[in-house]
Amino acid sequence: MADKEQGDVSSQQNNPLSRKLNKILETRLDNDKDMLEALKALSGFFSANNLRSRRNLRSDIEKKSLAINEEFLSAFQAVKEQLDSVYGDVQAMNDCCSDMTNRLKAAKAQTHHLMSQTTKLHAESQTLQMKEQVANAFLEKFQLKSDEIKTLRGPRDGKLHEDFFKVLARVKQIHSDCKVLLRTNQQTAGLEIMEAMALQMESAYERLYRWTQNECRILTSDSPDISPVLCQALEASQDRPVLFKYSLDEYGTARRSAVVRGFIDALTRGGPGGTPRPIELHSHDPLRYSGDMLAWVHQATASEKEYLQTLLRLCEASNASFEELLGHITEGICRPFKVRVEQVLVSEQEAVTLYKLDNLLKFYHHTIGQIVSSDSAILTTIAEVQDLSHRMFFNSLSCHANRLLDKVDLPPADLGPTSSLTQTLQLLRDVLACHDASVVPVDDKKQDYKQILSCVIDPLLQMCSMSASRLNTVDMAAYMINCIYLIQSTLALYQFTDTRLEMLQAQTDAHVDTLTSEQAAYVLNRVGLTLLYNGVQQQAELQAPLSHLQGMDSITVKSAMNKFDSYLASPDSLTLPQCSLLLGTLVRETLKRRSVELICQAYQQMYAAITNPKHEYKDTQAIVPRTPEQVSKLLA
Amino acid sequence: MAAGPYNYSYIFKYIIIGDMGVGKSCLLHQFTEKKFMADCPHTIGVEFGTRIIEVTGQKIKLQIWDTAGQERFRAVTRSYYRGAAGALMVYDITRRSTYNHLSSWLTDARNLTNPNTVIFLIGNKCDLDAQRDVTYEEAKQFAEENGLMFLECSAKTGENVEDAFLDTAKKIYQNIQDGSLDLNAAESGVQHKPATPRSPISNDQPPSKEGCAC
Repeated sequence: MADKEQGDVSSQQNNPLSRKLNKILETRLDNDKDMLEALKALSGFFSANNLRSRRNLRSDIEKKSLAINEEFLSAFQAVKEQLDSVYGDVQAMNDCCSDMTNRLKAAKAQTHHLMSQTTKLHAESQTLQMKEQVANAFLEKFQLKSDEIKTLRGPRDGKLHEDFFKVLARVKQIHSDCKVLLRTNQQTAGLEIMEAMALQMESAYERLYRWTQNECRILTSDSPDISPVLCQALEASQDRPVLFKYSLDEYGTARRSAVVRGFIDALTRGGPGGTPRPIELHSHDPLRYSGDMLAWVHQATASEKEYLQTLLRLCEASNASFEELLGHITEGICRPFKVRVEQVLVSEQEAVTLYKLDNLLKFYHHTIGQIVSSDSAILTTIAEVQDLSHRMFFNSLSCHANRLLDKVDLPPADLGPTSSLTQTLQLLRDVLACHDASVVPVDDKKQDYKQILSCVIDPLLQMCSMSASRLNTVDMAAYMINCIYLIQSTLALYQFTDTRLEMLQAQTDAHVDTLTSEQAAYVLNRVGLTLLYNGVQQQAELQAPLSHLQGMDSITVKSAMNKFDSYLASPDSLTLPQCSLLLGTLVRETLKRRSVELICQAYQQMYAAITNPKHEYKDTQAIVPRTPEQVSKLLA
Repeated sequence: MAAGPYNYSYIFKYIIIGDMGVGKSCLLHQFTEKKFMADCPHTIGVEFGTRIIEVTGQKIKLQIWDTAGQERFRAVTRSYYRGAAGALMVYDITRRSTYNHLSSWLTDARNLTNPNTVIFLIGNKCDLDAQRDVTYEEAKQFAEENGLMFLECSAKTGENVEDAFLDTAKKIYQNIQDGSLDLNAAESGVQHKPATPRSPISNDQPPSKEGCAC
């Protein structure tokens, strides 16, 4: 069919009617919903399909349409009115808003100034707050709190609290911090604060000093109660050297009087109920009396040193001032001590006791010297009395020696030592023995020994020589040997006597020499060989043969030789009596040996001369039957 | 007030006596330093040591004088007995001779100290039990007969050393408490340091005098 219609269209294309028709025909009614709807609506208009209605269709529709439009109109009229009122409202609102905007604008304009002012003030307040903090910090750092000031000024009773030192340290800190301030542009503040702190400090130190001084002044009991606060106070006072020194002086004075009182108490009062007894009760016993005093001084010195160390344990006091103070404290006992010891020394005669005292003083000088400095008064005093004791001792020794020389005893018949010699040697022994009990350094001991020996031995030897002066040579030699022997055997027991012993030995040797030749001469003389011996000795000067000289002829010589032979049989028969009086066995034997040697030597010379044909002795074998070898064998 | 080792209320003076070589100085050293001194030299004269101890809550400073045992120092050391509150008399348990000399030491101690002086007998070197020469019982009996306190100690190991010094102090303190030791008297060997601040006047109080016993 489409093909057919297409054929129609192409054939009838230019015909408007056909076009119109085509158009209507082409209209698809069933597809046009509007048309369907419109038709449907139209269908409701008519109840009856009659002519009139068909003719009037158009007007009916138009009427209908008109009515609907009128209806619309009236309906929209209401809507319009409504809208109008809405519009009115909105208009009013708009007015209101714009009014408000205006008012706001005005208000804003008005408050702008205020705002900026507030901001400014706020910033200002912040700055001020910061400043306040800074100021507070500053005050915190540079000012004292009221309770601190109170602590510094102290309570009414003047007691010093430990917090005082904290505050004082703070004041000092502030004072030194001010120097930093002075370097900045805060000089005025710095100066003012510094001044204020200086004032505070001044009064604080003043108070500290008064308190310390007072506290020191009452430390007069036997053992002072050194409180920790006092130590702190002294530590703090160190910043004021003058006040520090005054405080220490005060302490020194208090302790000094306490020590003196203690010393006098110990001397005169003793312990409770008299035990320990007062030291002075033993004043009759020089050693105990002095020893007790010295021991007391030693203990007191040691204790005082300890107290002082306790007192100054927080301070950096120089060693010198420490020593000085200790010296000052112990100075007070010097006088009572010195007076008493001097009295003991002066009234003591006994050399041994004096020497013991001397050693005791020397010992304590050393012992106490380990505690106090060498230039302290107490040590000087001990040194002085020690010097005195030393002098008194040697004085006593010299006195003794002088007495020896004043009254020289004659030697006894047995040529033994005189009683004054033995007594003096006993004294020497006693004196040297007490050095064993002492603790004096070896050097001192050596020095002492030297002095003692020269003080005693020299006069002693002098005395012996004097007493021997009236004796003959042999007696004198024997006596001197005996005296020296005794001295030697005494000295040999002690140290540092070697040189002395050597010297004495040399003297003994000289006397032994004398005695030897005397003994030999005595033997020759007794057997009648002296003349011959002298002749033999001088034979070089003689012209004639010996046998031609008087007294040397064969007969005389022969008889003398006979006597000599009998001497050989019993050599002891011709010993000098003085020789047997010698005390030393060794000396006796030496003497014997050496005199025998001398005799043998003489015999040998005589034998040689006699057997010499030059001297024209006949029958020499009969004159001298023994060879020198045989003689020395016999005498040995 | 934190005063540490410097705070004490009493000072007791001790003296250590006995023959040479019994270990007096070693005992002192062991007590003050808590160490054994092996090569202890001979004491010259008198030496001195201190230590602060505590007895029933009281701090007490002991001032100890250690004497030389050698005979030659006897004259010197005798002067140190006076005013001792305690005397430690030492012998060596391995050397009978040192024990035999005790009576002479005791005589010295009795004669030269005050009647209240506490005498403590110490048998030293008890670590050398193998070489023992004096029995404990014998010494104990000697101590009881003479009213002495007694302990065997060893300065080497430190055994009983502390006790000997402390027991002596306790006894002295007890004597103070029961009033038999007069603190006011000079040279009692005890010095009291009152903890409360004292007025200056109290120091001037004269020591109460007792009837003289001699």
